[in-house]
Amino acid sequence: MEYLSSDKILIVDLAAGEISEDELSEDLVAEKIGGAAVNKALYEQHADGDPIVIGTGLLSGTLCPGSSLAVLTGKSPITGKLAHAPITFHVGIELKYAGFDYVVLKGKADKPVFLWIHDGVADVNDASDVWGSDVWQSTDAWRKALGDDLIQTMVIGPAGESGSDAAQVCLNYWPSGDRFGFGRLFGEKNLKGIALRGMGLLEIADAEGFVDKCLEIIPQVKDGALKGKKGVEDICAAMGHADVKEWLAPIVHRHTASYNSPYPTQTFVFLDEDPALKTESAVAEPGFRLDDPDAVLGFKNLGLEAKEACRLMCLCARKGLSAAAVAQLSEKAGKKSAQEIEASLDSLTGTVELAGQGIFSPWCPRSPLFGDFGASDAASWWERRQAVAYVFGIDPMFAVMSPELTEELLLELAGIGTEIEFTSDTLESVVSDLQV
Amino acid sequence: MNMGVKVDALKCIGCMACEMACGYHRDDGFAFLSACIVLYRGREKKNYFGVLLKEEEDLVVFRPEGMEVKKIGATDDEPGEQKEGDASAKPMLLREACDLCEEMEHGPMCVKVCPVDAIIVE
Repeated sequence: MEYLSSDKILIVDLAAGEISEDELSEDLVAEKIGGAAVNKALYEQHADGDPIVIGTGLLSGTLCPGSSLAVLTGKSPITGKLAHAPITFHVGIELKYAGFDYVVLKGKADKPVFLWIHDGVADVNDASDVWGSDVWQSTDAWRKALGDDLIQTMVIGPAGESGSDAAQVCLNYWPSGDRFGFGRLFGEKNLKGIALRGMGLLEIADAEGFVDKCLEIIPQVKDGALKGKKGVEDICAAMGHADVKEWLAPIVHRHTASYNSPYPTQTFVFLDEDPALKTESAVAEPGFRLDDPDAVLGFKNLGLEAKEACRLMCLCARKGLSAAAVAQLSEKAGKKSAQEIEASLDSLTGTVELAGQGIFSPWCPRSPLFGDFGASDAASWWERRQAVAYVFGIDPMFAVMSPELTEELLLELAGIGTEIEFTSDTLESVVSDLQV
Repeated sequence: MNMGVKVDALKCIGCMACEMACGYHRDDGFAFLSACIVLYRGREKKNYFGVLLKEEEDLVVFRPEGMEVKKIGATDDEPGEQKEGDASAKPMLLREACDLCEEMEHGPMCVKVCPVDAIIVE
């Protein structure tokens, strides 16, 4: 695969400690486009190794607005079915620039390991020193040991190691959209995480045509319905919870976006520092990055103050727990005080309920945000919109707030960028296959 | 004073679109390696980030608290100098300086792609 691609699939046999590479065939891309659809094909190809597959979308890491996404695919310990979770921030695209479009992780390592992928090279390294460490400690340890503060990580905490259904794979220090218990799956494979760093180059079939098309769409998106909105608080407001803005406002520091996302989905709150501070804080760990509307709403609905709710969410991220799952289980168990919830974090039990069909992570709100997509059936619209985002590599949260990013446009960009002819029939077939 | 790119680091949302657009201008493909405008983001836990710009004679640091201009090649013992020593900062001095995308039909690409209008030319 010559364009918009690193052209490589990494196959890691954790049981044997062996690594191999495959080329990404143009035929596979022509049939499946990319992202979740290729992940699923690779999952089926390596099914005997109970694999986890991580893959980038066809447009991931390009100038197409919102193209930050990579996809984590595996059999969810919660649902028992094949499911896909988003890898956002700057983590998702780092895989492609580190030299691999897809990674298949098979089998179970006989001791704790982590995968280090950098500039087209992959190593399975010992992770005994960080096994038992929390997410923050592990990311810090890898960045220090490998000598680069910009290394991106997918990492589990003690929750994943101990097999909690509420465990998630975290991104750097922060929570992710993994609601399917993939953190537990990593733990079962003795895989502490993955460290990524790369400075690759993606060729474009018609570079000028591709970029011209992106430049055409950017003003439409940024002047669209999302204009002037920011952070998880405006997302919650669009979901019908306008009071979140006032609740959170006293501790909001700044808002940040995933790679090339016109909307900053992340709200950074300062918990041990003045939120108005512009200079670099002298406090090493002054706050926390919020990115999960359900977690914010879940803790707020328990009656917690914003600061104590955010401290709990921070603690969840350190332990590698889905805060949305914790809020849901706490409510079911009748735990409402921050102290009660904190005390129960290591012994959480109960069934986590997931909205939707269980194919795509319910981390993304299930209705259009800000904009109007003209959808008559919100549930089926959402499943299809997610499928499209997970195939092309568009942040799913951004996908539900950008009607300007039409399926036709994404197909056109994919065609211009690769010289492969993608039709609406191709996409129809890919979406149908994902929803089986 | 010559025209140049200016960044309002407080408006910046850290999406790196400018860095990718600049990389495209240099390499005619998608890459970060050659960009002369770079998001500095090494203090992730502190949420402290801004933008570095390589000009002909200066390295301009657009911090949330204000802009700082450093002469390339001059000794700088100010506190904070070392803080820009991330993996992305060292190669900055080896990169080509900002040319305002003079050969591009669209003008400075970083200005065009910034989703929050944090980058201007003045």
